[in-house]
Amino acid sequence: MHMIIVGCGRVGSTIARELQSQGHEIVVIDRNKDAFRRLGEDFIGRKVAGIGFDRAVLEEAGITPDSAVMAVTSGDNSNIMIARVAREMFGVQRVAARIYDPKRAAIYQRLGIATVATVAWTSNQILNIVFPQQSSPTWTNPTSSHFIYERHIHASGAGRAIDEFTTEECRVVLLGRNGVTQIPPTTVLLQDGDVLHVLATSAAIAMFDHAVTAHQGSHS
Amino acid sequence: MNIFRRQRSDSPVVEESVYPLIASLTPRSKTAIRGRVVRIVRQPTQGLPTLLVRIEDASGAATAVWLGRRSIGGLDLGRTVVIEGVPMTSATGLRFLNPAYTLLP
Amino acid sequence: MKIIIAGAGSVGRYMAEQLSSTGNEVTLIDSDANAISRVNIAGVTVTLGDACEVDTLSKAGSSNADVVAAVTGDDEDNLVISLLAKQEFAVPRVVARVNNPNNEWMFNEMWGVDVAVSTPHLLTAMVEEAVSIGSLVRIMKFEHGKAQLAEVTLAAGSPAIGTRIADLGLPRETTVVAIMRDGHVLSPQADIPLHQGDEVVVLLTGDVEQDVRRVLIGNSAS
Repeated sequence: MHMIIVGCGRVGSTIARELQSQGHEIVVIDRNKDAFRRLGEDFIGRKVAGIGFDRAVLEEAGITPDSAVMAVTSGDNSNIMIARVAREMFGVQRVAARIYDPKRAAIYQRLGIATVATVAWTSNQILNIVFPQQSSPTWTNPTSSHFIYERHIHASGAGRAIDEFTTEECRVVLLGRNGVTQIPPTTVLLQDGDVLHVLATSAAIAMFDHAVTAHQGSHS
Repeated sequence: MNIFRRQRSDSPVVEESVYPLIASLTPRSKTAIRGRVVRIVRQPTQGLPTLLVRIEDASGAATAVWLGRRSIGGLDLGRTVVIEGVPMTSATGLRFLNPAYTLLP
Repeated sequence: MKIIIAGAGSVGRYMAEQLSSTGNEVTLIDSDANAISRVNIAGVTVTLGDACEVDTLSKAGSSNADVVAAVTGDDEDNLVISLLAKQEFAVPRVVARVNNPNNEWMFNEMWGVDVAVSTPHLLTAMVEEAVSIGSLVRIMKFEHGKAQLAEVTLAAGSPAIGTRIADLGLPRETTVVAIMRDGHVLSPQADIPLHQGDEVVVLLTGDVEQDVRRVLIGNSAS
């Protein structure tokens, strides 16, 4: 996948190197050329010096609607601007923004942008947004029979009751929405942007993933 | 938005009396309303997508405006929804900008 | 009116002073304690905090403010402050300062901005206005870009010379605001015939620039 990472600090450079090792086409943007040193000698991705919400810079980075964009600069405001420009101007679907301030994050989630808090950050969290089904579970019991997985809901899952995905081997134990996390009643309807923690067997999570992304009936 | 305040796990239907009527709203005062989606318009603003969703209850209608979005999953015509935000007056009635929303069955 | 100004730099302080002296209730916000302590203007309240945070905007009284002006030296902050002012407080009028002209394209309703003011842009327009004769100079936009203030200094070949304002045939969405002639400002009475060298200031409320050019400049470009 073509992935653009804006902000070559500790977070950005770590994600860039990790994703590159997975074989993706990586472009890193940073205002300051010196920051690219963090990528190391063997980084073969492209580097673009410039401001991440500048249209010309994003075009130079080769942005297309199929790209993934991760805004991980040290500024919350910049990250939101980058995310909005990528999504609104360039039609990018896979966008994640890092937001330090949890109160700001709650507000920006209402703009429909997936945000990640820095305090709890691991590269996993950002990757969770971009590669929903490939991230590792956040918890497993000693016998590895059951796992807790983090899942982000998109448009295809929206409007469907948690009920629909609840089985003996699969339960949604946490629902995060607009900065509030709760143990949800099964009657709650899922919405675009919801962050779920799903307790399931590995077979059941595969079924969950399939069911939640399948386009059903009138859902577009 | 606290979904527990509005829904009991054995009752999927939210009591209508919990929400103020649209006609009774005071502009610039944070509130939540419940209504049905009666119109959805995709309107480019300065070349960028904007979603306008008209929501109606027994007393009238208000418009939820989402900047930079072409659609919101599950927010379709006929859907019952709760909108939470700070309403502002406009030429076309009360508007909520980028409100929090909850889809109801 | 109740006005909140985010950014207590020289621009913000100047605005606070001016607006307060004309009887408005003004609050200045800045996150820098030093900048705040330098504010010593009668009638102006100060709030210490980050204006990009809802709590700070709330403390400063955004819930019943008539205007929020985001005039920090940082475009990112100004956009975020504007969006929060509109979204969280439904402030009727949001004015924002554009520091870098490359960012000007974002300063509109998509970020809650009602009026964007770009100093470099204004300066350029003023320079253009001073030096250009025979072309249409766009000075400023109003009302979400729906109204444009512009001016044309009539050159020698202008078809408008010798014509009364009423007979110009300007489109309906054009208002002649003033005529500047020989250092005087004339109010645009319908029966004033135009002279070469007149600076005609117009307000356009539709897509009528081409028509206005045709009437005041003629068929040769610009």
